[in-house]
Amino acid sequence: MARRKMLAAEEDIANGIVEMAKRRGATIYQTVNNILEQALRADGMGLVLKDIIDRRGLLERAREMGFTFTVERLLYDVSDMAYEHTKNRLSEIWQETGRWYGKFFASRDEDVLTALEEAMELLTFGASEFAIDEGRGGGISISCVGERFTPGFTDLFSLFIEGIFEALGYRTTAKEVSKGIIRLRIDKPR
Amino acid sequence: MIKRDPEDTKLIVVPSSLAERLRAVAVRQGISLTNYATDALEQALRADGMGTSLQESVDLYRLMEIQRGAGSVNISRSSLNRLIEELYPNQGEEMRKAWRESGRWYGEYLHTKLQGEDVLGFFEKVLLVSWNLDEVEIKKEAGFTTLRYASFTMPFQTTELLISFISGAMSSLGYEELDRDYLRGMATLRFKAVE
Repeated sequence: MARRKMLAAEEDIANGIVEMAKRRGATIYQTVNNILEQALRADGMGLVLKDIIDRRGLLERAREMGFTFTVERLLYDVSDMAYEHTKNRLSEIWQETGRWYGKFFASRDEDVLTALEEAMELLTFGASEFAIDEGRGGGISISCVGERFTPGFTDLFSLFIEGIFEALGYRTTAKEVSKGIIRLRIDKPR
Repeated sequence: MIKRDPEDTKLIVVPSSLAERLRAVAVRQGISLTNYATDALEQALRADGMGTSLQESVDLYRLMEIQRGAGSVNISRSSLNRLIEELYPNQGEEMRKAWRESGRWYGEYLHTKLQGEDVLGFFEKVLLVSWNLDEVEIKKEAGFTTLRYASFTMPFQTTELLISFISGAMSSLGYEELDRDYLRGMATLRFKAVE
């Protein structure tokens, strides 16, 4: 029999592990070993377990929101080609999709702007920077910078963002869009 | 195996070799062994609460990091499908070529990134997670490699584009496509390993 050691754990955590092991039909010993081995595996990859589980939660959210992965380059190329082809129709579609997401966020019982920032983080997956700044008097400044955005995609994405805020009751008061840069100033009518 | 300890804690039994490896990591991180182990157990419970396991979460995180490195982004599925629908009738061939090229690049990336690992097994998981498929299977049988996938919601155009992407990726991984059979949201491709 292999030599064993004791580790102390808070009672409620230990109870949770016991219950989890039972539910999975595994022994507590196996379950604990497996968990700790995974912790070491994550550490060996230079990862932090908390980040891993946070990201797992975000991915679930992305799936709930109807997001899908695609190849960034293809997305931008296709957006540009399609935008050139049918600018008005696509603009309406992207703005409408934005409105849909705006209503989706508004219907959820959570802070809309935080949920929106999280969604933008999911959408861009680190490929661009997105920031929302709440100014005094209810105005909001939005900026999104993506160095690889193409002109057509930048335009469409700006409409998508506008659509979201439109559904939340805001109107755009200033807009600056150029390749890879979106800056919007929005206000809520009093 | 858990034993009760006096002050709201319980003692968990682990093999001493595992405890030593844990201690080494905890020391490197500047925390106690108890805190390190407690954090791992807490995160395992969080994962369990999401209906998953720590192992699956670690695998998925790594997969996502590799996808990020390969240039993946998220997009609303309906927006992407509308873009494709808009262009496909007139530019389908050009798009299939672009998807195939992208697949070839992706296959090369995986080949380089995952040296010595089960690349096809990883590719199977990537397809399932990244393309929102309902089923994917890559199977080796009778000297051939068969890839099957199914999605209940994928439009016909995306089905064709995904086939082009897969064909390109498999070619970079050393597999020549022999035949394909597909319907909307469902495809079977057969490959032969190139010597």
